[in-house]
Parts: sequence; structure tokens; C-alpha cells
Amino acid sequence: MNAATIGLSDILLVSPMLALFLVSLIPITAKVLRNNREQHPLVTLSQALIGIVIAIGLLIVFGGGGKTAFNNGLIFDGVTQWMGIIALASAGAGMVMMYENPSTTGKQFSELIFLAMSSAIGMLILVSAVDLLMVFIGLELMSLALYLMIGMSHEEKLSKEASLKYFILGSFASAIFLYGVAFIFGSTGGTNILNFMETAAELVQSSRMFLFGMTFVILGFCFKVSIFPFHAWTPDVYQGSPTPHTAFMATAVKTVSFAAFLRVIATKSLVGSDHLFDILQWLAVLTMIVGNAAAIMQNNLKRMIAYSSVAHSGYLLIGVITAGVSDSGAFGASGVIFYLLGYGLMTIGALAIASMLEKSENHIINIDDLSGFAKQRPMLALCLTVFLLSLAGIPPTLGFFGKFYLFNAAIGEGLLWLAVWGMLSSVIAVYYYLRPIVVMYMKEGNAEIAGHSLNATTVTAVVMALAIVLMGFVSGPIFAAVEASLL
Amino acid sequence: MILSSLVFLPLLFALLVMVWPKSNTVRHLALGLSVIEFLLSLAIFRQYDANSAGLQMVEQFMWIERFGIQYFMGIDGISLWLVLLTTFLTPIIILASWSSITERVKGFHAAMFVLQTAMIGTFLALDAVFFYVFWELSLVPMYFMVGIWGGARRIYATVKFFIYTFAGSVMMLVAIIYMMYLTQEATGQMSASLLDFYKLQIPFVGGTFFSLQTLLFFAFALAFAIKVPVFPLHTWLPDAHVEAPTPGSVILAGVMLKMGTYGFMRWVIPLFPEASEYWAWLFMLIGAVGIIYGALVAMVQPDVKKLVAYSSVSHMGYILLGLFAFNAYGMAGGLYQMLNHGISTGALFILIGMIYERTHSREISKYGGLASALPLFTIFFFIITLSSIAVPMTNGFVGEFLILLGTFQAQPEFAYFAVTGVVLGAVYMLWMFKRVFFGEKGELVADEHHPLHDLNAREIAVLVPLVVMVFWMGLFPNHFLDFSKASIDHLVNNRTNYNLTIVEPGTAASTQAAQGGN
Repeated sequence: MNAATIGLSDILLVSPMLALFLVSLIPITAKVLRNNREQHPLVTLSQALIGIVIAIGLLIVFGGGGKTAFNNGLIFDGVTQWMGIIALASAGAGMVMMYENPSTTGKQFSELIFLAMSSAIGMLILVSAVDLLMVFIGLELMSLALYLMIGMSHEEKLSKEASLKYFILGSFASAIFLYGVAFIFGSTGGTNILNFMETAAELVQSSRMFLFGMTFVILGFCFKVSIFPFHAWTPDVYQGSPTPHTAFMATAVKTVSFAAFLRVIATKSLVGSDHLFDILQWLAVLTMIVGNAAAIMQNNLKRMIAYSSVAHSGYLLIGVITAGVSDSGAFGASGVIFYLLGYGLMTIGALAIASMLEKSENHIINIDDLSGFAKQRPMLALCLTVFLLSLAGIPPTLGFFGKFYLFNAAIGEGLLWLAVWGMLSSVIAVYYYLRPIVVMYMKEGNAEIAGHSLNATTVTAVVMALAIVLMGFVSGPIFAAVEASLL
Repeated sequence: MILSSLVFLPLLFALLVMVWPKSNTVRHLALGLSVIEFLLSLAIFRQYDANSAGLQMVEQFMWIERFGIQYFMGIDGISLWLVLLTTFLTPIIILASWSSITERVKGFHAAMFVLQTAMIGTFLALDAVFFYVFWELSLVPMYFMVGIWGGARRIYATVKFFIYTFAGSVMMLVAIIYMMYLTQEATGQMSASLLDFYKLQIPFVGGTFFSLQTLLFFAFALAFAIKVPVFPLHTWLPDAHVEAPTPGSVILAGVMLKMGTYGFMRWVIPLFPEASEYWAWLFMLIGAVGIIYGALVAMVQPDVKKLVAYSSVSHMGYILLGLFAFNAYGMAGGLYQMLNHGISTGALFILIGMIYERTHSREISKYGGLASALPLFTIFFFIITLSSIAVPMTNGFVGEFLILLGTFQAQPEFAYFAVTGVVLGAVYMLWMFKRVFFGEKGELVADEHHPLHDLNAREIAVLVPLVVMVFWMGLFPNHFLDFSKASIDHLVNNRTNYNLTIVEPGTAASTQAAQGGN
């Protein structure tokens, strides 16, 4: 790659990242210029949100159409656009929550926002990367910022532990991923996915080294998106992190990791290797079962959401596998994107309400704390009900249509048994999703709502709930638009 | 647009009730709205052409084009009565709950209206996915109704209800998606329309479970069987009934159980004719076992509400028997029995609710001698009891008679069982009636500090329409059966190659004339 090949179009394509980068500098620069005094957090937040809106706008205007930049290192197609928008929007919602949550507001808000924005840049690189090294760079940029974010804003032990755990296991995953990339480089002489796109199915069969590399790359992703048995960090990190960070990780990070996962799987390596194909199917089934079964046993609301997010990774893996084995791939991939869209909305919403229940930095929210919530805050209780029912996949919410499209793609590719397992394990899921609703509506008690009003977070929750219900009715056109952008 | 308004007006009503500023008049509002809904359904009834077996007042447009999923609803002789039953019962339920629901009144009525949307939608939807959405949606308001306004063990009961019925229907969704792919294979165009599903020729191999039609058959049948509920999948029902507040019990017994039997009639039997025929013995067997089992268990219940709940298991067994007899008597009887059960058992639950409000107990042994204390109440209870045990001239008789006739024609051995059930039904109901209303005054009735008041005007107003229906349906069954005859005959005669045509408004009569000319 030499400098001469970088032209205006490259710059335009990466303009969302540039915009995010430039905007992210504003809060910390302002802090430096003001003798290390914070500007008003609301100003910081607005700057960040403006940056995100600009980035989304640039992504829509310049991205799409399968254009590549930087010598095929980055690609801007439907996956990039959709996943990028979902991730950025989730990140924005997470920042709104950071602004109001007691554990993340404070002296270092500018730094926090800078880190979140940096992480978002990593995400944009990740969704567009088609070179495995680019993927690695995106992954690391996103994760490094997160390690710091989790550790910095909290004085509590749990958060330090979460940060350390995430850092060690995250680095481990990165190392495995990089190891895999090295093998792939060794067998194909390159790291660009597009180069072995056509031949991966044969390479997996003919070259042991390539298969090895592919397996390790996939393992790295399995860590990132918490597929069983690489999910063990998830509940601890989700619980230990401040709630806004949990929301950030559960939605934005998961979305972009799945985007990169999709790109690797789209090489049809699964078609070539039956073993890889079988193992991934089993991992999907086990992930759904383990995630849901473990979630049943949780009393801690965030831990429950963490385990449920493991289960959702299992559902999504069905879509990823489908995309990998189907002829067009667009169907399965659009199922994944649509599912992530719904999943993002409902998880952010549920965690926004969890964030409101946090009175202090060290506050642990158990499900029983919600008792009486419906009487005190009927509107928010209704929103949480919508989120939980949607997570459980009850129609006519977006969550139902997400599952419907995902399983539809799987059945269309003959993966009927995966769909059956998915449906069966969602029955288990209903049990624990109903519990908070039971406690909110059917038990007496005084929900401890934080003394200060969290207006922006409330608005976020209400908007998400409305979106989940309304988008359910127009899910058809949305799905069609997703699929059209991938073809 | 008339069917859409019927389905979605209640949803609007739910919102209206929620934002209504005055909580003391919210009951009046809800009652008025539910009467409007009933009048609207009567308007549909007037427009309905009984001579045609086709789908009428159809509304159809593409909803999710990518998968051929349509917004598709229509009415025929099978769904007509179930829709009317729903709209008829709702105002009665709201009036009956006047004094028993005192907390979160707005929420209660909102749940009621959402439930109405879901139920009517289930009966009218003709697209599999569209149907599934309503089918599952109905769980949510019912879940809240039992969970918030129910009895002491309400949470256990409501979670059990939700998970049982949800678990039953998930395989149906997989089957629906699979059938959508079958339509794609057959016609090149994916579709979830029921009419396209009817056209599918699904391979069937007798003697094995793993034939495609059998698997799909069971995926659907499981969902409906749990909802019905048939023995041995019934265990959620007594729990839900006992813990549910009166209006919840009425709507559950009156309408929601019929979603299951309706499902058999609309989906399972015509979609999978060979499998239905092959496995009919199984469903007739569990129907017959359910009749006897429900009756025997009902007999020993100390709680009168639980007694009625188990009697539902017994009564629903009859319906199953009638449907799987595959002849016109059995089918018509099954449909008639759905309406009967809605009215009789609904009325029984209302009556039990009224006495529970007065004494706060449902234990049979604590009553006795109620007839002298509450004469008016006794008369109403007696009439409904007679209807429930199918005494001639009441609605119950017509239904059971037709079912037994149909079953004798098809599978006499099951009919013998069912006849035993008729006797047992009389035993447990009359025995209960004797223990509650006659003999020594029980501790609740003799309590001089709390004298019992007989029915007030509102309560009479609740019961009179139900009693009128009991006799009307018992004395003039043809007033009702005639409207379903064309549809039932069509289903029976073309069961193995079922299809439905869409009848344009106003042309129904002429189509029929043309067919008669052939």
C-alpha cells in the first residue's frame, strides 16, 4: 500500500471516522484550555451527539454500494452502513445514559466521552474492515478504549475487577485472533478477505494451515460475541461495569463484532469444512441453552441481561451460519442485521431503566428492587415490559420479527433443527423475562428510584419502547431495505 | 374496512380508557365502548350472507412483501359465531366486574380491550403469520389480568399459563415458516396465506411419525391442544381459572379456550386432512378420556370454581370428539358446543363470582341452604346448571346431542364413553347444586352478622342476556345453525381437498344461485 493510491474517495469514505475523531477532540481540548476544568457535561454530551449524527449522516451519504478504500482494506457496503448506524446510535444512547448515571458523571466526563468516541471509531473500522489486520486494528481500538472506560469512572472494586477481567480475556481473544491471521497469511500469502473470498471453501479442504487459521479467527470472534464456552467473562463484566458501559458493550460492541464475524464467515469457509460447520451449529445450540438456563438463576438484573445477551448471541450465530452456507448470503446476513437492530433497541431500553434504578456508584440492582415500580412509574414500567416482551420474542414487537426473519432464513437453508432449538430455548427465556414483570406489577413494595430525575434517560427509554412497537408493524419494508442493500 | 374496525377499535378503546381523566366514570365508558363494539359486530352479522360458504367482507393487502405475508382477514360461518360470542360476552363481563374490580380499574379495562382485539383478530385472520401475531398477543393481557387482579397464588398460575401456552405455540411458528417455504416450492412465490396453504399437497405416510404432514400436523395440533386444553395438557387451566378474577375466568372459559378448538377447525383439520384422519383416534381418545377424567375430578372438588374449571376440561372433550368425527353433525355440534360452553360456563363463573363477593369463600362445604337465603340467585344458578348438564330445551342439549350423533356415526366406541360423561356431568353438577343450595344452612349462609343480599338490578342485568341465550339457543337451534351450515357442509364435504373462495360483497347470493344451477 503506498501513499499514491490514497485519493479523495478514500478520504470521503472514511469521513465518518474522521468526523468522529475531530469531534472527540473538542471536549478534552476544551478541558485543557480551561485549565483542566470540565465544561458543563451537557455541552460535552451535545458535542458528542452532534459528532455521532454527523458520522451517521456521512456514512449514509458516502458509504454503501460496495466501494472499497485504502487498497481494499475497508469496504463500504450495506453491512457497513446498517451495522455502523446501529452501533453509532447505540453508542449515542449509551452516552446519554453516561451523562446521567451517578457512576459515570463526574470530574472526568470529557475523558470518558473522548474514550467512548474513540471506541466508536474503532467500531466503524471494524464494520468496514475486510483486511484481517484492519479488523484487528478496529477490534483493538474499540476494546482498548473500553478497558479504560470500565475502569476509570468507578471507584468500586467490582468495576476494577471487571475492567481487568475484560482486559485480560479481551487480550487473550485478540491474541488468538491474531494467531489465526498469521496462519491465514502463511497459507494464502495475504490477509485480505476479498482475496480468498472465492477460494476459501477449497482452501479449507486442501490446506490444513488455512483451516487452522480460520478456526482461530472464528474463535477470536466467539470470545468477543460471548459464544459458549467463551462467554464466561460476560456476566462478570456486564455486572461490574457501570450500567451505561454495559449498554454500550451489550449493543454497540456486539453489533460490530458480529459484523466482522459475518464478513469472515461470508467467505464460505463453512461450506468447505463440514467440521467447522457442525461445530458452529453445536456452539449456537449450546450458547442458546446455556445462556438462557443460566439467566433463569440470576437475581441481579444486569447479570440476567448479561446471560440473556449470551443467549441472543446464540440466536445470532444461527443467522451467521446461515449467511455462511446460503448461496446469496444476503438473506442470512440481513436476518442478523435486523435482529441486531431490534436487540439494540430493547437492550439499550432495558439498561436505561436499570440505569435509572441505580442510586449510587455501588448500587446493585436486584430484580426484587423493581417491586412496586409499576405503581410509581407506570410509564417506565410499561416501557420495561415492552423491552422484556420484545426480548422474549412475543409479537407484535420488533423482537418477534427479529426471531421470525432469523429463523426464516435458517429454515430456508435447511437448518430446521437450529430453528427448532432456537424456538425451544426461547421458551426457557420467557420464564426469566416474565420475572421482572411479575415483580413490577404483581408485588407490593417501593421501588427505589434515584432521587435526581434522569430526564434524558427516560426519553431514551420511551423512544426505544415506541420504536419497538411501531417498527414491528413496518418490519417488512425495513427488512427488504436491509436485504436490498446487501445484494 | 368493517372487519378491521371490529378488530382494532378495541385497541383504540384501550388507549382511550388509559388516558380517561376520571377514574370513577371509567367503568361507564368501558361499558359504552364495549356495547359499541357489540353493535358493530351485529352490523357484520346483518351483512353476512348465510347461503355462501366463502369468505366474506375480506380485507387483503400485502403486509410483508418479502415473505408474502398479508394483512388478510375475512369471516365465514365458522368464525362468525365466535366473533359474536366475544363481543357479546365483553359488555357482560365489564358489567359483572363492576364491584369486584376495585384496583387499577383503568388498567383492567385496557387489558380487556387489548384481549378483545387479540381474540377477534385470531378468529378473523387468514394469514398464518398475521394469525400467529394475534394468537400470541392474547397471552399478554390475560397474563396481566390473572397476575394483577387474581387470587393468592396468582403469580404461579399466571406464569404457568403463559409458559404453557407459549411453549405450545412455538413449534407452530416453525411449522408456519416451513409451510411458507412449501408454498414457495409449489408456486414459486412465498406466501403465508391460509388459502395458499390449503392448496398445498403435503406428503403423508401412514404408520410413521416422521412423515412431513404428520410432523406439521402435530406442530399445529400441540399449540391448539394446549389452548383447548385437552387431557393431559390441561393442568394450567384449573390453576389459571381458580386464581383468575371473575372476568378473567369468564373470558378464559368463554372465548380463549375456543381459540384452540377453532384452530383445529380452521387450520389443523383442513390443512392436514390425511394426518388428521390417521390420528383422529388419538384425539377422539383424549377427548373421551378428557370427558370422563374432567367429570371425575370435578366431582371431588371442594372448591366450586375448581369444579367448574374441571367441568370445562370435560366439556372441551366433547368438542374435540365432535370435530374429529368429520361429519356434519359432529362439526356443527362442536361449533355449537363452543358457543354453549362460552355462555353456560361463562355464566357459571359470573354466578360464582357474585357469591364470592358476598362471602369471600368458594368452599362448597361452607355453603348449604342458600336457596332460602337467595331465591333469585338460586333460580339463575339452577337454569345455568341445567344448561351445563345439557337438559333438553337448553343450549347444552343441542350441542351434546349433535356431537353424540356425529360420534355414533363415525366411531361408536368413543360415543359410549361420551354418553357416560353426560351422566357424570349431571352427577357432579346436581350434587354440587344440592350441597350449596339445599339442606342445612352452612356457616357462611347462617352468619347473622353478615346477612346475604340477593341479586341487585345490575347483577340481574348481567345474567338475563345469558339466560335468554340459553333458551334461545336451546329452543331455536336453527336460528344459529343455519348461519354456519354452508361453511360446515363445505368443510365436511371437501375436507381432503379443502379450499375457500373469497366472496365479493353483494355477489354472495348470485354465486350460490349459480352453484345451485350446476
